[in-house]
Amino acid sequence: MSLKLRNNQVKSSETRAICGLERLWGTSPLKSHYDVVLIGGGIHGLATAYYLAKEHGIKDVAVLERRYIGYGGSGRNTAIVRANQRTQENVKLYDEGLKLWPKLIDELDFNLMFFNCGNLNLAHSEAAVSAFRLAVSTANFCNVQSELLDPQQCKELVPALDISDRPYHPIHGGMYHGPGGIVRHDAVVWGLAKGAFKHGAHIHQGVEVLGIDTDGQKITGVQTNRGSISCNRLAVMAGGYSASVCEMVGMELPVHPLTIQAMVTQPLKPFLHHVVSSGAYHCYANQTLKGEVATGAHMDPQVNYSTTPTAWYMKHQAEALCEFLPCLKGVKFMRIWAGLADMTPDMAPIMDGNVMYDGLFIDVGWGYFGFKSGPITGKYMAEFIADDEAPDILKPFALNRFLENRYMGETAGATNYGHWN
Amino acid sequence: MRARLPEFPTQHIDRGQEISFSYLGKRMSGLGGDSVAVAMYDNGVRIFSRSLKYHRPRGLYSLDGESANTLMNIDGIPNENAEKRRLRDGMEVSAQNVRGRPDTDFYSFINWFDRFMPAGFYYRMFHRPYKLWPFFLNRIRKMAGVGTLDIHREFDDSRRFEIFLNADVAVIGGGTAGMNAALAAAGQGLRVCLFEHRAWLGGHMDWRVVEFEDEPLFERARGLAKQVEANTQIRLFTQAPVTGIWGNKLITAYQTGKDGEYFDERYIECRAKSVVVASGCIERPLVCNNNERPGVMQVNTAWRLARTYAITPGKRIVFSIGDDLGLEAALDLAELGLKVLAVADARSDKQNADLLTRLQSAGIEYLPGWAASNVKGGKHVRGVELSELNGSQTCSFKCDLLVASAGQQAVIGPLSTAGAKFRYCTETGLFQPTEMPPKMFSAGRMTGLTHPGSIDTSGTIAGLEAAAACDRDVSTNLDAARRAAAKLPGETKGCDLVYGPGIGAGRKAFICFDGDGTFKNAVQSASQGFDAPELAKRFGGFGLGPGQYQVPGQNLAMAMSNINGTPIENSQFTTVRPPLVPLTLATCVGPRHNIYKQTPLHRDQKARGGIFRNAGVWRRARYFSPDLDCRPEIRNVRENVGLLDGSSLGNFRIYGPDALRALQRVYVSNMEKSREGRCKYSAMCNETGNIVDDGVVTKVADDNYYFTTTSNRAGITIEWFRYHTRFDDWDFKLVNLTDSMGSINVAGPNARNLLQKVTKEDLSNEAFPYMAYKELIVGDGVSARCLRLGFVGELSFELHVAASHSQYVWDLLWEAGQEFKVHPFGMEAQNCLRAEKGHVIVGTESEQRVTLLDIGLGFLWDSNDTSSNKVGAPALRACENQQGRMKLVGFRVSESGVTPLDGDIVVDGNDIVGYVCTTRISESLDCSYGMALVKDGYATRGEKIRMCQALGKRHDEYTATVVPPQFYDPDGQRLRT
Repeated sequence: MSLKLRNNQVKSSETRAICGLERLWGTSPLKSHYDVVLIGGGIHGLATAYYLAKEHGIKDVAVLERRYIGYGGSGRNTAIVRANQRTQENVKLYDEGLKLWPKLIDELDFNLMFFNCGNLNLAHSEAAVSAFRLAVSTANFCNVQSELLDPQQCKELVPALDISDRPYHPIHGGMYHGPGGIVRHDAVVWGLAKGAFKHGAHIHQGVEVLGIDTDGQKITGVQTNRGSISCNRLAVMAGGYSASVCEMVGMELPVHPLTIQAMVTQPLKPFLHHVVSSGAYHCYANQTLKGEVATGAHMDPQVNYSTTPTAWYMKHQAEALCEFLPCLKGVKFMRIWAGLADMTPDMAPIMDGNVMYDGLFIDVGWGYFGFKSGPITGKYMAEFIADDEAPDILKPFALNRFLENRYMGETAGATNYGHWN
Repeated sequence: MRARLPEFPTQHIDRGQEISFSYLGKRMSGLGGDSVAVAMYDNGVRIFSRSLKYHRPRGLYSLDGESANTLMNIDGIPNENAEKRRLRDGMEVSAQNVRGRPDTDFYSFINWFDRFMPAGFYYRMFHRPYKLWPFFLNRIRKMAGVGTLDIHREFDDSRRFEIFLNADVAVIGGGTAGMNAALAAAGQGLRVCLFEHRAWLGGHMDWRVVEFEDEPLFERARGLAKQVEANTQIRLFTQAPVTGIWGNKLITAYQTGKDGEYFDERYIECRAKSVVVASGCIERPLVCNNNERPGVMQVNTAWRLARTYAITPGKRIVFSIGDDLGLEAALDLAELGLKVLAVADARSDKQNADLLTRLQSAGIEYLPGWAASNVKGGKHVRGVELSELNGSQTCSFKCDLLVASAGQQAVIGPLSTAGAKFRYCTETGLFQPTEMPPKMFSAGRMTGLTHPGSIDTSGTIAGLEAAAACDRDVSTNLDAARRAAAKLPGETKGCDLVYGPGIGAGRKAFICFDGDGTFKNAVQSASQGFDAPELAKRFGGFGLGPGQYQVPGQNLAMAMSNINGTPIENSQFTTVRPPLVPLTLATCVGPRHNIYKQTPLHRDQKARGGIFRNAGVWRRARYFSPDLDCRPEIRNVRENVGLLDGSSLGNFRIYGPDALRALQRVYVSNMEKSREGRCKYSAMCNETGNIVDDGVVTKVADDNYYFTTTSNRAGITIEWFRYHTRFDDWDFKLVNLTDSMGSINVAGPNARNLLQKVTKEDLSNEAFPYMAYKELIVGDGVSARCLRLGFVGELSFELHVAASHSQYVWDLLWEAGQEFKVHPFGMEAQNCLRAEKGHVIVGTESEQRVTLLDIGLGFLWDSNDTSSNKVGAPALRACENQQGRMKLVGFRVSESGVTPLDGDIVVDGNDIVGYVCTTRISESLDCSYGMALVKDGYATRGEKIRMCQALGKRHDEYTATVVPPQFYDPDGQRLRT
């Protein structure tokens, strides 16, 4: 016998009084026309909707999400934020993004749990130290705090590190970036949804885009599982699924969806006070506010849409962690999950507008940087959509760089993801 | 230790073995076979830990590690599950997440503040004003977490191993269904692996004394276990919980070693052709007020304490149950002489009539259609209120133990990770598999069966189906088994109680123990828009704790559909994520795997004082000078002669009628020009025109070439050739000789003199000029491929010899070099030498922004070639005349004061326009020199560029002059003489 909940239980004055239990974001009727339609209910789509509605007065906006908001990469990443990228173009954007978090928390009146713990990247070779020197100088030149550490300084910062010769890749130094940290990823999704809805945007969950309508050179709308919706402007911000959405208008993006996995250990009292990452081990670790050690980084190199985790990945991660943080040997893994990363050949995103069709905007190819850049990208994409002109900061990320063979320098080596390049 | 119940064959304890341990410094003792938690319970411990959020006391609730209640610090290791850890002599156990002692925890007051902590309260608080957030943040961090990790403690991982198995049939679950499945499959001559998480087989039959077919169930199960153990086709793993089923029937598990075994824990991977999952059921917790007080425990917990461990679980016991097993347990405990006051049964019909009669004759009050509504008592159960489900009647009992469950929930973990789909079955009250992955079969209690005969037969059927999936003809046996099953009882009615009566707002009715997630929190989540279980899980924190989905899984799904008013059969289970049981990292690692390749001269180089570094998959000598500047090494090569172990360099042979065409495809140069006896330097690009490899190619004979690659690239060179010729059906063979050959570079003005001493071949400049190739006989007849190259900018000969001859040749050269005072040199010296010469290293002077042309190697490219479809040629053509690209330049710094370093940036005003790839101080040039990638506007010879080193707060700027990168011997005189 399943008991029906009595009305007075849900609405008991007690529960209401304490937390004002209204929905964080409301449901809206699905209209047949919107000025702007955003495909993808992740951080990018929601942030764009939020800024369109709040700062540009464009309130006739719909965010279409196939599953539930935050189902994709926004809810599956490990929530690291930083601004110590390799090139000036990137540092500028991410730095603004980093400075946005406190402001956003205030604006949304939602605690996004920004833990400004700083990021330590480990160098395991002389070459890696040189690479860090470039990143550190680049950051400092752009007025972003970053410093080069020797192994002893790394150890002082993170006492759990093994800086001896025992690990396969001994630690040669590190790059410490104080302004970085972690943010509660789900909270960003919910907070932005709350803000976007408050300013008038519609958020539709369970609406899957099946086709894109065009008329001559112009975007006219989308076909969905809930009927067709016409629109003046359309933006694709569908994370790992962006390439397949763009294919609906015959746009072949240089984007490869790859599976990326992450996992957490059982919760422990705080012992790791910074994000620690290691390129040589393909591994990063940080302790969440709940006390779990969250870890990930490696990517399965085959192009696919699978979000099923693999056993070898867990083994790889255990091996890596036990090397440079040997105190974790007796700690237990609790949960592993997988998501998609939409990788471009140069590991930098593609942000562009009026590509192929007037009114078609794309914000794709974020790979595994989509979280840290979310709100700031939404802000500038909103500006782009509203003004119909690319803001200067987004210009380096235009699609035609691939046609011209001008890659961005976010990674040094020629990338090996996807097909043989 | 207290007096235990009399001996009985269901027990798994060794009364002869008394084990002493300490808990919070107090000496206690238990018996052999006890788990830590059981022994603690026997010693009177009732509060094991404090809960995460409210610091509520938590006690022994389950015996198989279903919640975080009994996570303890054992021997210094945090978060050890005391329910699963076997008691050992001298163990030191302490409680976690407590300030002070568990029974007087300082933070227990938080329990009263739950009103201020509704679902998602974190997100609504602490952020205004923002400057106070760091303070709250630190508080939150300290309150969070369960165990405390000692980062300085050395963890002994020396007894962690791993095994990788193949099986025809893997069976998960060693209950009677699993055992029958294993026997059925083994009977077909198949190799079977059986995984059971407990230390013994038998599943839930192991402690049941009721008789079936004139035999007590436990004896029946043990008889079956003996057959399984004796069957040589079955490889049995007990104490081996499955952590997941992954793609294509890969099963992972880990096994804890028994006393005297060679491992503490070992990681198991088993690839099976087909799989039977008979993972059974665990109990579904009863959601009622204070349902997690110490003194509330599962039916099987109380039952097994008595039957398996001979421990009295409580003095005055009340049952609130939802299935016949609950009734059977109540009767059994009463028959053991324990005081059972009452049994509330959430069902009003379909009970086992025989059990009801016996209950009546035992004089136990039986309340059908009732359930516990509230548990009284602070730190421990003092009484319980039972209510009729419609809330019309309530009665109270004074008791010290409430045995509570809302029936069973299927252990969906293994099948769920394998990709099976589940649906709630309103008849059995279980989430049952509706769609099975290929070649996987389920059996036993998880399919809704409760009758012992039906369970066994379902196992046999599944085992035969699995055998059929392995191409065994089992149709006769299968028909017989199915006919037998048809005569047996099918699915039985289960319990569909969502929560106990009188739950009210559900403030203290816990759906999730580990995260302190109450029914009220579920309501709060739903009303804020998080109405699907998957959303409530994230927002309200259900099932995210150490016990994962086990306690809240089904209850959350049922509660959410109840709250939303949606049909219960549509309720959804949240995604189950591996590992299904917590997996210790050291176990997951197994033995340390880190292996690297050693060159044939590794030991020799080590003995000569080489300081080694990783170089891709190799470990190579980088320095032979303690100061790491390598001055003596460099000087020796420039002025005398040095020896370098370059064995990690890739060596390949390509031969066959289409070998040349393949070379033409991947190399940028016109490879038709490679001649016998000559080395041709060339490079490979990827499709975007990035240089990916460089090396020399020599023609050994017609259709037969020998070439070298960089060390990093050697591993994927064959795939690279194959990939880029995959549509061509060309006939060529490619052999990677890298590991089978050693390479020694003899470099320096005295190189010829030295080498001439060990070979009769004429090495004069005329007979063996620069970029020539010869096959020499050195010493006592060792053949060597000799390449006259000049990477370091001096006269040099590279000798490629069989790996097994490498040491001999090195010794020969060393001996011969004594008169020249020959000295080894390492990778760093080589790096300095080649940089002075302006020779690039792929990946150091190149990156993805620059093409072959941008780094000054455009002369290699045969741009007129249109027929061989060279990899990267279209890209090179496209950006041949492009403006605004980065270019590789040489630079000199004449200023003193700042020492340029690799990675310094090139700046102009507020813009970064390039960076330093390699820079060194040159002794021969008496200045800092280097190579940098800069935007083309800054690449003109003679241009003054600003460099910046900003490694901390200080920015050091200096000026450099752009020069051609060939600093040393620009005309190449030294190479050619």
